[in-house]
Amino acid sequence: MPRGLIHSEKDDVCVATTDVKKGEEVLCAYLENNSKHEIIKTLDDVPLGHKIALRDIRQGEKVLKYGRPIGVATTNISKGQHVHIHNLKSIRWSK
Amino acid sequence: MMTIKGYIRENGAVGVRNHVLVLPLDDLSNSAALGVSKIVNGVVAVPHPYGRLQFGRDLDLLFHILSGTGANPNVAGVIVIGIEDNWANRVADGIAKTGKPVEVFPIEGYGDLKTIERASRKAKEMVQEASEKQRTEVDISSIVMSVKCGESDTTSGLASNPSVGVVVDKMVDLGAVAMFGETSELTGAEDIVADKMANEALREKFLKIYREYIDVIEREGADLLGSQPTQGNIKGGLSTIEEKALGNIQKLGHRKVNCVLDYLDPLVREKQGTLCFVNTSSAAAEAVTLFAAKGSVLHLFTTGQGNIVGHPLIPVIKITGNPKTARTMSEHIDVDVSDLLDLKISLEEAGERVFNYMLRVMNGRLTAAEVLHHEEFSPIKLYISA
Repeated sequence: MPRGLIHSEKDDVCVATTDVKKGEEVLCAYLENNSKHEIIKTLDDVPLGHKIALRDIRQGEKVLKYGRPIGVATTNISKGQHVHIHNLKSIRWSK
Repeated sequence: MMTIKGYIRENGAVGVRNHVLVLPLDDLSNSAALGVSKIVNGVVAVPHPYGRLQFGRDLDLLFHILSGTGANPNVAGVIVIGIEDNWANRVADGIAKTGKPVEVFPIEGYGDLKTIERASRKAKEMVQEASEKQRTEVDISSIVMSVKCGESDTTSGLASNPSVGVVVDKMVDLGAVAMFGETSELTGAEDIVADKMANEALREKFLKIYREYIDVIEREGADLLGSQPTQGNIKGGLSTIEEKALGNIQKLGHRKVNCVLDYLDPLVREKQGTLCFVNTSSAAAEAVTLFAAKGSVLHLFTTGQGNIVGHPLIPVIKITGNPKTARTMSEHIDVDVSDLLDLKISLEEAGERVFNYMLRVMNGRLTAAEVLHHEEFSPIKLYISA
């Protein structure tokens, strides 16, 4: 059973659909393509609804969800890390 | 043809509730309005903090909201109470155009107690008359509904909002009206909404409204960090306004937007079904109040972390895709679509679940918000009073 969902094949993040503990392997299903999935080993505790990086993301890179940029990485993010306001900021409303 | 059992009003508009409303024109008249609601069983009073020394567009908007609330098809009759009677008459005239009974009671020259007595006698008659109104079979195309999300989280974009999008598509295809708004919360997806406009004129009108809204925010020197996303949104995993907006627009469905309404614009129906952007704030009670004033008789409200808003006159149906919220705030949740998260049901099935529940509510079933006395009424104000 998937414990994470990915909106688009272009996305950099998977949304945890249950609480996930550090070190757990999470099956993330694609909403656009139900034959495809990713298995991600988490590097952090990730609560339900929070994002896990699907790949390494460099500082300054745009992060995609819904196939669209939702913000910019403020630090380097490793595959499996929790992606949230500590390492991702809005493109539009952050000085 | 799909039908529901609603109340047909004098002007042909269809309501799904049958309220008698006591409408205070201004903050000073709240006590008398509440007094009437305590004496007469079956009337709804809507206290609010405005109506004194407003001017210009802001005053027009207050009249628009108060008249529109009284004119809402869920209302059978209206008592307007105001400290002075000139403004109260203006609001009552707006309501009277619908043909429904409306009566004004000024407080000046009478005092609260006499006003409460006079208004209560009239309200008693209106309630008894309204109680004889029967539900009749009507085409679902006569329904005007609205959608909004609140205390959103990532489950809103994954489950509850797309489920509502299925319902919006269906209602528009059936010839009904669906309204959406939340101007600031489209940020990061405003180009997608602009691309959904049915023609160039609507596109320009929408983008102008959007830019003006954001200009006001920026003129105040704010970047909305800390309020957009809200603390609740952030707790639920939303990191940025762009992420929130992309989740938000999932509930608009896939039809073209063929109507764009600024604050003072009245609703105009298209024959083939209407999907309408309404310029609103993203605050739950303010937005639902404005939708109801524009004629919405039923609201679909998706929530992630658990917003509990209701409205005094229109049923607000709460839908969540968050299994924790469905459990911890179960008394507020009408429809749980959280099994979409583990892909146990399809999006179409989830949409069908919301739609079927909405039919029951249209036919008379009370929502959680109605039963729990969530009667938030929040007219908006555009700027300072004189």
